[in-house]
This record gives sequence, structure tokens and C-alpha cells, in this order.
Amino acid sequence: MGEQQPIDAFLLEHAADAVIAIDADRMILSWNRGAEDIYGFTAAEAVGRPLLDLTAPDDQAAETHAHLDHIFDASAGAVGSFEGLRKRKDGLLIYIASTGRRLASNPAISASAAPAVVLSDKDVTHARVSRDSKMLENRFRDVFDLMPDAIVVLNATGRIVLANKQAEDLFGYSHGVLVGEPVECLLPERLRAAHFGHRANYIRHPRVRAMGIGLELHGLRADGVEIPVDVSLSPLETPEGTLVLSAIRNATERRQFETQLRDKNAQLAAAMQAKDRFLATMSHELRTPLNAVIGFTGTLLMRLAGPLTEEQERQLRTIRTSGRHLLSLINDLLDLARMDADKLDLSMERIDCQDIIEAVMTALRPQSDSKGLSVILEMPPAQLMVWTDRRALTQIVTNIAANAVKFCDHGTVRVSLRSLPEAGSGGVAIAVADTGIGIRAEHMPTLFDAFSRLSADGAEREGTGLGLHISKRLADRLGARIEVSSTLGAGSVFTLVLPGE
Amino acid sequence: MAPRVLIIEDHADSRELMHFLLSRSGYDVICAADGVEGLEAARRTQPDLIISDIQIPRLNGFQVAAAIAADPNLRHIPLIAVTASAMAGDRETIVRSGFHDYVSKPIEPETFVVQIARFLNPGTGL
Repeated sequence: MGEQQPIDAFLLEHAADAVIAIDADRMILSWNRGAEDIYGFTAAEAVGRPLLDLTAPDDQAAETHAHLDHIFDASAGAVGSFEGLRKRKDGLLIYIASTGRRLASNPAISASAAPAVVLSDKDVTHARVSRDSKMLENRFRDVFDLMPDAIVVLNATGRIVLANKQAEDLFGYSHGVLVGEPVECLLPERLRAAHFGHRANYIRHPRVRAMGIGLELHGLRADGVEIPVDVSLSPLETPEGTLVLSAIRNATERRQFETQLRDKNAQLAAAMQAKDRFLATMSHELRTPLNAVIGFTGTLLMRLAGPLTEEQERQLRTIRTSGRHLLSLINDLLDLARMDADKLDLSMERIDCQDIIEAVMTALRPQSDSKGLSVILEMPPAQLMVWTDRRALTQIVTNIAANAVKFCDHGTVRVSLRSLPEAGSGGVAIAVADTGIGIRAEHMPTLFDAFSRLSADGAEREGTGLGLHISKRLADRLGARIEVSSTLGAGSVFTLVLPGE
Repeated sequence: MAPRVLIIEDHADSRELMHFLLSRSGYDVICAADGVEGLEAARRTQPDLIISDIQIPRLNGFQVAAAIAADPNLRHIPLIAVTASAMAGDRETIVRSGFHDYVSKPIEPETFVVQIARFLNPGTGL
């Protein structure tokens, strides 16, 4: 026996397996070189410490405990086996196959009289990975290779058991090389340590996690280049335990698009602000010079600056007409721009329709008088109130009434106000009828288009071609509509139908 | 003595137009190019009527109106706004801000003097 001992010690030291002795308190008594290789702790680090603290993953502690209890409870010489997860010093999980034998108290290894256990642990990680890998390859490889995304399947130790063609291409590895590697090889160095923790958590509480939920993830290609990735995770239950399936997508393009989109949005917001400022100053800036043009043309025509020849007066009238036309174009365009920018703020209030109609017709009096038209207002005996925006209503009524005056060379412009017959609707209709030239049937469809300047008699008439277009859009905003009926040569009727409150 | 009208208007052409129309009509016209200058001129010359643009530098038309209303020596003077942003809703804002009336730009020379004359005391001879 005495000569045998150094040889035993030599064999023990050089056995490929981890040979570990523990006492009844599960404290490590002995730790061979095989244990150092498998677990990464030196004998000096291991001896005297609780085995479970050192090598059992947190969630495996209870199971390991039970296994050891089982051996300790058996009679001396009994053998117990166990296969499960162990934790290495570097945090990596491994599969071990452990066989334990209970010893009677033995002064060779322990001074105490308590029983001890000798464990012989074999690292079977590689075997497990190949087994899982083969199982998966057989069942899923074809399916995974057909998927658009890179697929990487991990087992509980975080080692890759399957990587489809797309994954090998994405990360730049040749076929089969990734199997057996810890998944951290696909991560940049700086993220690996944190990933151990995430992975251990995930294995404990596996759940489906969708791709692209605001995480900026990064992958590392075989050539050392980092790529942005989107990753989805889902547990994959197999008879051999829970695996983790992760689908990985190259997010380079998506993140570029996102960045571009953000930049574009910022630019757009700035442009909108600039447009708003522009609109605000435009109104003032464009009208100011026209003030001088129209004003001084007027003073000249009033002969305040001296006498005029007939030709001078004719030309000055042309300037004034053009100036006024330009002014209404500017006003209309600003209205359109405001509507396009949704800057047209409506302030709804209760409004007496008759007030609006009378104000509009009074403003149009110079034009209707100069053409010798008779203007008839047909108002109901009682006040008719509507809930609407004063400015928009005034503008619509002005536009349709001004058109009536413009396209009517003799006869009557009749403006009538009535409540709508539908019981309790509260709606009103404002109709403007003229005895003018009427509208050609073929002009009807484009009547409300922008810059649609249509004249049944072909005569040149003042106007921007925007009046009806703006009126229609304002009516839409008010929830109102404009109806038209016309007889060529006999006149037209434009009816604004306003909804009730 | 001719009634005195103070014009507060930053735009030279518009100022000249109003000055021309009113002086041709026999008024004693004083001009100022911004709100601060306008208020100083008002205190110094005690005009019978003040015409002020709304968008003017240093003090805008509304601020001028408030300053005039707060000044016991000026608050009796009729105040007319001249504005290029003449929208139906603006009229109420302007009148509520202490102006007696407003003239929208562009000024129509034929009606401008008539409109202004309504606010001058008939007892002044016009």
C-alpha cells in the first residue's frame, strides 16, 4: 500500500476528469488538476470553500444539493450519477456528467470522522452540443435555411447548436464552424460580460422577445467588423431541454433609414416653421408696396398732382386695375397657403346671417351700382343664427355674390336667406341668384378648381380664378356645401348650405 | 387753424401717400416713423387725430394705443389704425385695443380723406 500511494496521487493528479472530494458540509477537501482544467479554479482557490458556491449555477443549486444528499445518505461505497449544468470560473456554463462515491471516514483525506464523498466530473458539454446539434440539424436545418433571417440556436450553456446559412453569411463564418462556440463569439468584446448575465436570466425565464423593440444591438463578424443587428428570441422546447432560438437581422439599413427619417423630420419641421414665418410676413410685405402703387395711382387719377390727358388717365386706370388684381391674387394665394398649412384657424360663434349678407352687399354696392344692377335681399322675418366662423362665412358669401355681380351685366342679383326645411336641422341656406350669362354645362365639373376662370361669353372679366376654389374649401372646413344651378344665358344660382349647430 | 393730423407709419411711401392726401385736403400733417417717435410727437404737438400703422418698430400700434389711452393729455384724441392685415376678425381686435376705427391697406385715396374727416370735430371748420 505504501508504495502504491505516490502512484495513486500521480494518477489522480493527471486524470482528465475533475476529481473532487468534499466533506459532509459540502466543503471542498481536495481538487485535482482535472478540476482546475474543467472549472478554471486552482486548488488553492477551491479547497476549503463550499462546492455549490463555486460551481453550481444559482438555479441549479437545489438540484445539485439533492444529488449530493442522495449520495451522502447512501451507505458507504454506494455510487450516484448526475448530469447537469455547472458554472466555470469565467462564468461560462458547461454540462458535466458527475459520478459520486460515498466514503467511510478516512484519515487520508479528512481528519474528521465524518463521511466524505469523492466526485468524478466529466465535461460533456461538447458531446451535448453535438447531440443537440444533430437532433436540430435533422429536424430543422432545411426549414431554417429557408428562413430570411439568420437563425442561431443556443442550448442552456449558451453554446451554438445550430446556425443556419444566413447566420453563417451574416457573421462571415464557413459552414459548421459556429457549432459548439459560445454565442458571445458573435458579440463585440465589450458586450460579452454583460451578455452572460442576460443569457442566464433568459434561460431562467424564457419568453418570446420580438425584434426591434428599441434596443441598439451590435454583432461582431468573423473579420472583426461590428454590425448593428436586430434580434428576436424565443424558447424552443425539445425533449432534451429548453433551447433558445434567436433570429438575427442586419439592421444597418434600418438604422440608416431611421437616422435619415429623423433628419428629414427635423428638416421638415424647420421648413414648416420657416413657411409659417414666411406667411406671416408675406401678407404685410407684399401689400405694402401695392399700397403705394394703388394709392398714388389714385391721387394721380384724382388730379391732385395736376391735370391729366385722356390717354394718361386711361393708362393710370389700367395700372390701378392691375394693382387691385394683383392685390386680390396675393390675398387669395395667402388664404390658400394658410389652408394648405392648416393655419386657417376657425373661431366658431353664433352669427346672424342677415348681418353678414347686408355687410357683403353693402361692400359690393359700388360695383353693382356702376353696372346698374338691382340688388334684392330676401330676408326671413325672424333672425337666423348659425354656428360658424365669421371670416370664412363672410369670404364665401363675398365670393359668390361678387361673382354674381361680375357675370351679370343687366338685371337683378337676388340674395335670399332661409332656414332649411328639414325639421329641427337648424341649417340655413344662402342663395345668390343672378340674371347673368350663366355657366356652360361643360364648365360645371371644373367650376371649383383653382385658377379655373371660365366665362360663358368669352369676355375678359376681372378675377383670380381662386374665388370659388377657396369658397369650396372654406365651406368644407365649415361642414357646409355650395350648390350650383345655371341656365346658359339666363343666369346662375349659387346656394351655400350651412349645417345646424 | 387747420386740424392737425399725426401719421405714425414706418413705410416711407405709405407715409408720403397719406401726407400728400391729407395736406392737399388742408390738414396740418405731422409724421413719425415708429411708435416711440409717434408718442413723442403726439405729446409735443397735441394733434386732433392720430393715424397709426399696426406693424411699426419699437412700439407697435397696439402699444401706442395703450400708451395714448393711459395718457390724460392724449386719451381724448381719436385714433385710427391703418393695417395691411385687414381681416374681418381683426376689426374687433383693433377696436377693442382702443382704436376708433381702421383703414385697410391699400388706402383708397378717393375714400381715405372722407373716412378720416368723420373723426375730426366738425367744429374745426372742415
